[in-house]
Amino acid sequence: MEIRLGSILLAAALLSGCGWFHRGEQPQNQVVAEEPPGEPSVIEPQVNRREVKTPKVKAKDLEIGAYFGALSIQDFGVNPVYGARLAYHVSEDIFLEGFLGTSKAGTTSLEDVFPDITVVSNAGRQFTYYDLDLGYNVLPGEVFLGRGRAFNSQLYVTVGMGDVKFAEKDQFALNFGVGERLLITDWLALHMDVRDHVFETSLTGRTKNVDNIEATLGLTTFF
Amino acid sequence: MRRLLASVLLLQALYANLSIAAEHLMSLVVTQPYLELHSGPGRGYPVVYVVGRDEWVTVLYSRTDWYKVRAPNGQEGWARRDELASTVLASGEPAPIPPYPDFVSHTWELGAGYGVYNRENLVTAYADYGITESIDAEAVLQQAFGTIDNRVIASIGLRHTFLPEWKWFSPTAGIGTAYQHIADKAPPAPLESSNQMAYVSLGARGFITRRFMWRADWRHYVVFNNLNRYEDLEEWKFGLAVFF
Repeated sequence: MEIRLGSILLAAALLSGCGWFHRGEQPQNQVVAEEPPGEPSVIEPQVNRREVKTPKVKAKDLEIGAYFGALSIQDFGVNPVYGARLAYHVSEDIFLEGFLGTSKAGTTSLEDVFPDITVVSNAGRQFTYYDLDLGYNVLPGEVFLGRGRAFNSQLYVTVGMGDVKFAEKDQFALNFGVGERLLITDWLALHMDVRDHVFETSLTGRTKNVDNIEATLGLTTFF
Repeated sequence: MRRLLASVLLLQALYANLSIAAEHLMSLVVTQPYLELHSGPGRGYPVVYVVGRDEWVTVLYSRTDWYKVRAPNGQEGWARRDELASTVLASGEPAPIPPYPDFVSHTWELGAGYGVYNRENLVTAYADYGITESIDAEAVLQQAFGTIDNRVIASIGLRHTFLPEWKWFSPTAGIGTAYQHIADKAPPAPLESSNQMAYVSLGARGFITRRFMWRADWRHYVVFNNLNRYEDLEEWKFGLAVFF
């Protein structure tokens, strides 16, 4: 009885061992069985697929930066201005841009001649604006510095609208600008801009449209 | 303002450092006879290098329709989107250079425009999320400049596009709620300085090119006030938007 049990166990172990040993061949046997005679057998590779992750390409269509310059506030003299800008480049020609800037107005000639007269309160002299602009790269090209260096550049025009807060009142303003973007590297750009903020005011007596032209120099990065 | 400017400059400096850090980049094999690399991301910039068939390029980043790539010898230049799209990955699969987002099934929209609100000049900016192809949720922030007051209006609402598959012109209708804040009041201006409002809108939208689109909207607002009288406002606006 013991011998019989032992041999059964041995046979089972052998069988399972053979099974283990021939595990790789089992599908092959099955395939052969199903295939019509004469055709060669197909070996299915037992290799796990490697998960390949393709890195994403980073889009650097946004441009952020700061600028500094001079703003001529009509009737209030020329004053320093500074601000921040953010642009999104839609295509190689078109971009959308937002500006946020501030300046402090000087005095009018009237106030200079008659020091007792105040046209605008001291707090009201703060000139703050935001613009939403549509820009177009009119003249893309290269500029050369000496023999060996070339920088990409774009001359662009912008048109837009926004708010000018002056004399403690918000005014609807239209903006017209022209600028040059000089790419020092592919991600760092120098800007030279001239922009006009036009709005209607009656601060100096009669109601009129005033042109507030600013000339600025800025630095932006693409990200 | 000064603080904002300082933080912008700080971000610029930080970004400059970050861009130096090594990144995991996509490598592609040129399958067409050659791939032209331009000196800048624009059609007019001269070709400065040509990568031959079966050579590798590393894609650094993109700007609008252009991709900055690096050739095996370290030469860098800008390749056009459609030319780079015909290269392949190491596995032989086509390069995963995404096409423009489909206008009909786009999800996000960012736009700005001009309008007239209660006979006042209006500057408007909005973000729009497409829940389905025909139903959008929109959030709008706008500023109205009047002769007797200035208003800031914020609104959220839902909009239905009747025929989203009509690419160039499809009518829309919407409803929503809004809040207006009235400032800089001159004597005949409203007595209240803020109101809750509700609106209905009719409009249209259309595709322009690439990822550009336009929108026109007419809105009728009902103002909830404590003045014991019915007050309503009208608004129309036109805007340009970018979709993703």
